[in-house]
Amino acid sequence: MQRSPNDLSQLQATMRAIELACSSIQMMVNPAEAEATILSFCQSPQPYQACQYIIENSQMPNARFQAATAIRDAAIRELEFSAAEKETFLAEVKQATLGIHGADVQFIGINFLESLVSEFSLSTSTTMVLPTEFHDQCQKSMELEYLKAFYCWARDAALSMTNKILDSDSAVPETKASTAALRLMLQILNWDFRYSKNGVEGAKGRKNVFSARVGNDNNLSRRSECTVVQPGPAWHEVLISSGHISWLLSFYRALRKKFSCEGFWLDCPLAVSARKLIVQFCSLKGDIFHSDNGQMQENHLLQLLSGIIEWVNPPEAVSKAIESGKSESEMLDGCRALLSIATVTTPVVFDQLLKSISSFGTLTLLSALMCEVLKVLIVSNAEEETWSWVARDLLLDTWTALLVPIESGGKTGLLPAEGRNAAANVFSLIVESELKAASASACSDDVDTDYFQASVSAMDERLSSYALIGRAAIDITIPLLTNLFNERVARLHQGRGITDPTVTLEELYSMLLIIGHVLADEGDGETPLVPKAIQTQHVASGESEKHPVVVLSSSILNFAKQSLDPEMRASIFSPRLMEAIAWFLARWSSTYLMPPEETGENSGSGYDNNHMVQSLCSSKALLIFGEHNQGKSVLDLVVHIATTTLVFYPGEKDLQALTCYHLLHALVRRRNVCVHLVALDSWHHLANAFANERLLFTLYSAHQRSLAQTLVVSASGMRNPDASNQYVRDLMGHMTNYLVELSSKNDLKIVAQQPDVILSVSCLLERLRGAARATEPRTQKAIYEMGSTVMNSILIFLEVYKHEFAVVYLLLKFVVDWVDGQIIYLEAQETAGVVNFCMRLLQLYSSHNIGKISLSLSSSLLSEAKTEKYKDLRALLQLLANLCSKDLVDFSSDSTETPGTNISQVVYFGLCIVIPLISLDLLKYPKLCRDFFSLLSHLLEVYPEMVAQLNDEAFSHVLGTLDFGLHHQDTEVVDMCLRALKALASYHYKETSVGKVGLGARAAGSKDQSGQMSEGIFSQFLRTLLHLVLFEDYSIDLVSAAADALLPLILCEQALYQRLGNELIERQVNPAFKSRLANALQSLTSSNQLSFTLDRMNYQRFRKNLNHFLVEVRGFLRMI
Amino acid sequence: MSDEEHHFEHRADAGASLTYPQQAGTIRKNGYIVIKNRPCKVVEVSTSKTGKHGHAKCHFVGIDIFNGKKLEDIVPSSHNCDVPHVNRTDYQLIDISEDGFVSLLTENGNTKDDLRLPTDDNLLSQIKDGFAEGKDLVVSVMSSMGEEQICALKDIGPKS
Repeated sequence: MQRSPNDLSQLQATMRAIELACSSIQMMVNPAEAEATILSFCQSPQPYQACQYIIENSQMPNARFQAATAIRDAAIRELEFSAAEKETFLAEVKQATLGIHGADVQFIGINFLESLVSEFSLSTSTTMVLPTEFHDQCQKSMELEYLKAFYCWARDAALSMTNKILDSDSAVPETKASTAALRLMLQILNWDFRYSKNGVEGAKGRKNVFSARVGNDNNLSRRSECTVVQPGPAWHEVLISSGHISWLLSFYRALRKKFSCEGFWLDCPLAVSARKLIVQFCSLKGDIFHSDNGQMQENHLLQLLSGIIEWVNPPEAVSKAIESGKSESEMLDGCRALLSIATVTTPVVFDQLLKSISSFGTLTLLSALMCEVLKVLIVSNAEEETWSWVARDLLLDTWTALLVPIESGGKTGLLPAEGRNAAANVFSLIVESELKAASASACSDDVDTDYFQASVSAMDERLSSYALIGRAAIDITIPLLTNLFNERVARLHQGRGITDPTVTLEELYSMLLIIGHVLADEGDGETPLVPKAIQTQHVASGESEKHPVVVLSSSILNFAKQSLDPEMRASIFSPRLMEAIAWFLARWSSTYLMPPEETGENSGSGYDNNHMVQSLCSSKALLIFGEHNQGKSVLDLVVHIATTTLVFYPGEKDLQALTCYHLLHALVRRRNVCVHLVALDSWHHLANAFANERLLFTLYSAHQRSLAQTLVVSASGMRNPDASNQYVRDLMGHMTNYLVELSSKNDLKIVAQQPDVILSVSCLLERLRGAARATEPRTQKAIYEMGSTVMNSILIFLEVYKHEFAVVYLLLKFVVDWVDGQIIYLEAQETAGVVNFCMRLLQLYSSHNIGKISLSLSSSLLSEAKTEKYKDLRALLQLLANLCSKDLVDFSSDSTETPGTNISQVVYFGLCIVIPLISLDLLKYPKLCRDFFSLLSHLLEVYPEMVAQLNDEAFSHVLGTLDFGLHHQDTEVVDMCLRALKALASYHYKETSVGKVGLGARAAGSKDQSGQMSEGIFSQFLRTLLHLVLFEDYSIDLVSAAADALLPLILCEQALYQRLGNELIERQVNPAFKSRLANALQSLTSSNQLSFTLDRMNYQRFRKNLNHFLVEVRGFLRMI
Repeated sequence: MSDEEHHFEHRADAGASLTYPQQAGTIRKNGYIVIKNRPCKVVEVSTSKTGKHGHAKCHFVGIDIFNGKKLEDIVPSSHNCDVPHVNRTDYQLIDISEDGFVSLLTENGNTKDDLRLPTDDNLLSQIKDGFAEGKDLVVSVMSSMGEEQICALKDIGPKS
């Protein structure tokens, strides 16, 4: 490179200054000044030439080091180079990386590349206030032009140091550089490759211009530790065919051998980096491999596996070594590698890999490894997390990756025969270790966190993995479970009254959870089918009674049945055991009890014939619990057990919650089951006890609500609607009568305050609410009657209990749910009655609460009072929203000609009552906030004219909340506000365009007292919204809603819009951006034949336009 | 808190009893409970077990409705707890006397003069200020287990 002498002298001066500073730091002479010199050098703009000069010419390693650091900092600071500068600069870095200037600079060079790569990856870049578009371009050019080159430099650097490292006995400087090189390679392989597919953007490559950081696409793999690496075909040569991997493996192997007697070595950075890189190679996938039926990928994996196997095999020796002090990190990395391989292959391929180089398959290795880990776990039984915990979780994830059925690919979790045995072995050890853990924890008293649901969901993931393994070999695992279960039951019986059963109870508890997971899936509200693995596996015996699943189910049902016997119950069936039984029965019943009749829909679903036949056999055998078989008697048993938990376990809230919310809900979910339920004596008994006996009043009141709901839902099983309605009347009649009688008592004021009366009223209201929530067309009539009977009483109670917040809330909630269920069905006259009732309710409530101040010494009581207020308000908002729905959905028979109630008037009135009670502070409650805005947006959409009638105070309150909501972080709230804005603006525009006033003065803006002009509301919102869509972060889902709001706003305020657009263009400094912005703004309002009307077509066009517009301009308008 | 005692009390005169026995498991947050012979509002309920396979017990945190003090209790959830009878009556405020007593108008036209103003400065000023401004004030008086206190204030004056 040519340099003028003038430059040269300056460069020399700089070099000397830096050298001086470095040596003075070394000698501790005036270090502060020296540091300042170096710091200012590092921060000087464009120090590249000087740095280059120093690196090439200085004799002082420290000075060279500082120069390299300065380049690094500056390069990150100033990403923009001219092309020529970039080339020189990169050539410099390359030389440094390859070790031309010695190992120290080499280390810096590699480190520099590492920070460069991380800076260019958007998710790890620092904030630099540059347009997002620029970041995107950087990322793309990095990926397409540099990444591979950087990788090769790092690889070559590592290669060149191999011998030096292997030959020297102690740590040499090259070790550090080599570690850095490996780390850089790993980092490059971690790059989020987007442009891999022949330069065309891949599926992941869709840019998201609407939020700042691109989230990682985690759908590919739910495990955090395992990401699939797909760099694309361009990398084939570098990674696969260059022999690079075999070098890496032998490098690691050689080092491992050399340091085999030094235990610490496994954890030194070089070893860690090398292993991480090897593990990363296991995740390679995609079209980097040629399309040759996976042969190339298999070879690749085999090569890796043959290197990795010595980390984990033989398992026994490995675990022994770790237990006696060897580092576990290599073994854990081995497990991680297996997990990665499992993620990119099928079970069969996975198993085959190892077979070609050893006598056993990979599944067998996996199984042996897992067994070894479990054995260690069983023996150590340590409280804190040990390596065996980590290893167990990794290996469990590996099994899950292999076995979890992939919906689309048609790959089922079926294992080859040998693999099934392997799975069965693992499963039996799993059960053993869980039983061991259960018995060890049985007598521990730390049960505060042991609420059933919480503990199940915490274990759920692990249990689901167990279940997958167990299901892989049901012919072995399920009989095993049956034996273990029966053994424990027998033990309980033998020891009854003699020994403490706690340990066995806890073991049974744990077994029920495992069995529940193995046999059935969680339905999540739908009817879960028999798991595919159970349906399709061939089971030897043809008879139903001998099907292992049937045998196991029967064992458990028989055991559960014994809880009906009072003596047995007292001695064996602890509340906790009953919790497990209730949970199990709920889960099991959803799948096996009276399953929906087979309609042969399985045919043609891609199974081969053989599978078909087996599958039919298996599901036929499982029909033994169907409607025409033992189903009815089992159903009866389940109802008896449920009733038992409600009646004979007083005060066991958790158990009863499981019964009410899980078990009974599961029973009434399907109508075919309800048909049988309502025919059962046991069900009648339960319903009767609920309606007429005091006993069930001792249930927790929320449970009573759920029970009422369940019982009313079951009415759908009656023969015809009349019978269903009668069923509900019989069930609820007593309760409504009691309330009506009570409310008409002369001394109500005195009686009502008695605690027992309050309790009864609360319970009954909860029950009515439960029934109201169960409203279906079939039972609507009876439930309407139920509510209308007590309407008057409700108002009386609202007055009497005005100080009793808890009761007020129940009253409101009942009305909310009742109106919600009923309103769409009501005839005009009924509607008028209900609406009138709601008005009186609202008035009464507001007369009690406006202007009221609670007085209390206790701040916590005051805050409780505030929370109660919030809940009440939320209920009122819901009530108004429910009333509104009448105008949208109406199933009543009398149609439009009957003069119906004017819902808008009612809701408007209601809103006037509620609005003064709602403050911005209250809107911080997320649920209230949603409810409020959903009501508001609905009102504005349907009755925009109503807003014009609001008084000034209420009007500005509404707009204030809208402005607040637009900036809310909840997407749904913003969406609702946008819809409200759209409604308001389009109403105004349409009205004014036909010569009416619309929102009149409020839209026009006004002068306030001080003579200052304040903008009209639409001008304000146009500004706010434009700023939002152009500069702020929001979800891509909001663009359409924003377009819908923006269009009418622009039409209302065209002049302002022009001005804002011009301002925006003027503000751009860069001329290219300026013209792009101008063009984009132009086509925003003109392309796609956009017109000045507000019809559907036009909205759609504008949505499209806005979308194009934002994609075009947000890239350079927004700064990160 | 033995059960027999309550039954006796209850049977003697249900209407006049100061408390009522209720199963611990049914008592909800925001309900009332007697802890250490004080009427409390329940602000927290949690359940736990006596040993893994034992029976449930309820842990209550209550706040004394009169003095605001926090009290706690643990009761087996199938046992009964005392629930206090809490009465609230509205009276119109007629006068505040210099010695700190208020004069209230009862429903049947008599006056009730035995109630003191609250001692807390904050509460006191809210009542005094409202009264001094000439507002028509209704006060709610809460009574339970032989104690009485003003607990809420409502302006029903012509202004609103």
